[in-house]
Amino acid sequence: MERKLIFQKDMNLQTSYIRKPEIKMEDAANFLPSKYLREKLPLPSVGEFEVIRHYTNLANLNFCVDTNFYPLGSCTMKYNPKINEEVSKFEGFIDIHPYQNIDTVQGALELIYNLEKLLCEITGMSRFSFQASSGAQAELVGMLMVKKYHKIRKAKKYKVIIPDSSHGTNPATAAMCGYKVIVIESTKDGLVDLDKLAAICDDEIAAMMLTNPNTLGLFEENILEISDLLHKKGALLYYDGANFNALLGVTKPSLMGFDIVHLNLHKTFSTPHGCGGPGAGAVGVREELCEFLPVPLVEKDKKGRFYLNYKVRNSIGRVRSFYGNFSVLVKAYAYLVRLGEDGLNRVSHMAVLAANYLKAKLKDYYLPASQKPCMHEVVFSCINQAKNGVSTLDIAKRLIDYGFHPPTMYFPIVVKEALMIEPTETESKTTLDDFVKAMIEIDTQAKQAPHLLKNAPLTTPLKRVDEVKAARFPVLKWQPENLE
Amino acid sequence: MPYILTTQKDIEEMLKTIGLASLEDLYAHLPFKIKLKEPLNLEKSLSEQEVKDRLKKLSEKNTPICKFNSFLGAGCYEHYVPSPVLSLINLPQFLTAYTPYQAECSQGILQAIFEYQSFMCLLTGLDVCNASLLDGASSLAESVLMSLRITGRKKVIVSNSIHPEYQITLRTYLSGFDFEIVELNFDKEGLINLEKLKDLIDTDTACIALASPNFFGLIEDVASISSFAHKYGALSIMVSNPLSFAILKSPKELDVDIVCGDGGVFGGGLNFGGPSFGFLVTKQEFLRQMPGRIVGQTTDLEGRSAYCLTLQAREQHIRREKATSNICSNHSLSAIGAAIYLSLLGKDGLKEVALSSLNLAHYLYEKLHQIKGIRFPFKDCFFNEFVWQVDNAKKLIKMLYKRKIIAGFYLGNFYQNLTSCILSCCTEKKKKEDIDEFVEALKEIVK
Repeated sequence: MERKLIFQKDMNLQTSYIRKPEIKMEDAANFLPSKYLREKLPLPSVGEFEVIRHYTNLANLNFCVDTNFYPLGSCTMKYNPKINEEVSKFEGFIDIHPYQNIDTVQGALELIYNLEKLLCEITGMSRFSFQASSGAQAELVGMLMVKKYHKIRKAKKYKVIIPDSSHGTNPATAAMCGYKVIVIESTKDGLVDLDKLAAICDDEIAAMMLTNPNTLGLFEENILEISDLLHKKGALLYYDGANFNALLGVTKPSLMGFDIVHLNLHKTFSTPHGCGGPGAGAVGVREELCEFLPVPLVEKDKKGRFYLNYKVRNSIGRVRSFYGNFSVLVKAYAYLVRLGEDGLNRVSHMAVLAANYLKAKLKDYYLPASQKPCMHEVVFSCINQAKNGVSTLDIAKRLIDYGFHPPTMYFPIVVKEALMIEPTETESKTTLDDFVKAMIEIDTQAKQAPHLLKNAPLTTPLKRVDEVKAARFPVLKWQPENLE
Repeated sequence: MPYILTTQKDIEEMLKTIGLASLEDLYAHLPFKIKLKEPLNLEKSLSEQEVKDRLKKLSEKNTPICKFNSFLGAGCYEHYVPSPVLSLINLPQFLTAYTPYQAECSQGILQAIFEYQSFMCLLTGLDVCNASLLDGASSLAESVLMSLRITGRKKVIVSNSIHPEYQITLRTYLSGFDFEIVELNFDKEGLINLEKLKDLIDTDTACIALASPNFFGLIEDVASISSFAHKYGALSIMVSNPLSFAILKSPKELDVDIVCGDGGVFGGGLNFGGPSFGFLVTKQEFLRQMPGRIVGQTTDLEGRSAYCLTLQAREQHIRREKATSNICSNHSLSAIGAAIYLSLLGKDGLKEVALSSLNLAHYLYEKLHQIKGIRFPFKDCFFNEFVWQVDNAKKLIKMLYKRKIIAGFYLGNFYQNLTSCILSCCTEKKKKEDIDEFVEALKEIVK
């Protein structure tokens, strides 16, 4: 039977969630001109139990971290501790208004202040802003700071260097800041090509955006040479911290020469991804860039009272209302204090160990994208399997039948038939071994029974979804006439 | 160690498989110079119990809004959230999943987002809605950027009765370019004056961005402004409190091109201002210029109805520097929460929330008229919040705090010409006795 939409479950029921006001209720026309008023409100009315069942059944159709191994490369799908959820829902955190008197939200400001201090120690940056609500928005904050930094210096810099292996958000962000994107090709090992960088690094370069480890899961070993090259030309080095899970307590972006850093709290610091968000992007900077941070910043005065500082000299402004995704910050803070120095260091070691283990176990079956040792994620190319007529997509879909969420596919774009696997530190060896077993079986099937892959997934309630049709004939909302 | 399942024996076996002697060898190829020689200067790990105690203590240093008699709104509204909303969005299959890239194992997320998109189209009357943006302010910025791409023009007119933090956000988002941003000042009634707009608009204007209800709670004559903008080939962009759609004319009826705003009013709670989510709904013809994820309906191999992310050729992971926006993560979970909230309340329930807010706010407004020292600078055509004026407004707010009453938002924080003005809001959470208490307190103080 076809699954129904909530709109097809309309019962025309009266609900009673809201208290009846003790005053005499008047029609809207009593207060407002009728030309402003609406006549029809075409919404369904569904009973509570039906709503519960509908969305619970929808939930059950999804893979998630709590139910399935989710090795989605670059997304750091680690376990999201339950304590974080519980503390984030304390009344004193949830039920506070952003414009309440500052003396009545001292705990919230103290938490932000403490979180900032922790991240400064972890990254070596001087200050952090928590206003950005996602990694991409954090990039926007960072790159607008780059823009203002050069503007104040009256430096005519209008280009940004971005490796061809970068996340798509990097060039998109640079373009949103009005920069021309200069793409630098990777070496065949998958690293930034120093010679090429030297050749394009001129006085017009405003910054380079870099992920380290990069999206091939490789550590940019020449990072100090890279930062030297850029700094000599007066350019800044931007750290896309999407892959920082590999380096906690091992090195700091400041030691690598980065000037601006963003961290995805929903990746490295375990706040849940929630079907794609809300997350939070923390943006950290070196001392000389603090004057460009978005407002407000949280400060502590001499009496130990916390306050919001809107007087940041050359602030870029703000990228959203209020102070960022506060509930997400609470979760990240709880995670950081729970792990502490020793726990964080362990996180990165175990994450890197797990990825290298998968690489060692699978390298005879799938072609590693690089011969270099990997960090927290490993990229394979499925070109050998493709010779049998199966694609990376087929392999990914077949993994669903084994109960594994597919890794990231066809990214980074510099690797043909790429499969990007990030196991994270929270998986057991048994899970990793099960995954390896599945991948090896799938490799065998690719040769002997490719139809199993071509038709995969076979075990899900729906078979493969026609994405081409979705794009060619877009149906983007429910309409009474086309479904009833 | 917390959250790690790998045992010492596992570690040894895994290292052996890799061909390394120790965990440190995993980082052997990092330059010595950048490696930390000392552990991070942080506390050691805490037990779960200690973490909980510490966070509890911090949370108790805040005074939750429920301990006050609060009339604060100003872009963040206290509404009743039915229990099933929280219980459903906290299901791990929503909470701990990622963006539904893999349709076959994410049908539930995809359908829920599709339902959210449909709800927003029903409410606004417009054609297409994306899977959510980050908040109201950035949704305005994305809408204006959209209008610049659509028209290829260089100038935008922005009403200064849009939430001031949204205005700053818009300017920040546009600061990388040489676009001209022209501010349209509200007139003495707190509204947009068409005559003033006439002086500013020209054929290089990409859009006129306004809010209705505006920051002062007032409802603008949006239909007239839209039709005026269209005469010049400019788009009309409306920021709105989506709860108002329950009783006010839909953006489609007002001929708005893009409607955006913050969806936190739909089951979101306060959360110190975040997270909530941003919405953006527009006309079919502008679909290809929309930012963000979109879910579409299609079929599976066997012809059954199915859902997937679609029209991704607009997005950063495909188009990179030519994408319509850099947005990747959005606020899907909050948007799904909105769909659940709307399903639960239904047509009559949503109207009830909007009407209660409207009635209670107007009740307060009428009551305040009984107090001599209080004046009303603007018109009375407002939804759930309004502006009132009093001598020593700032001091008055302080005095009321001592009585556990939050009078509202002090407008002098944002507007130099409104230093004696307070913006007060009522939602369905207010009781008659709360309002009466507030009015009695004012009667005692304002003489």
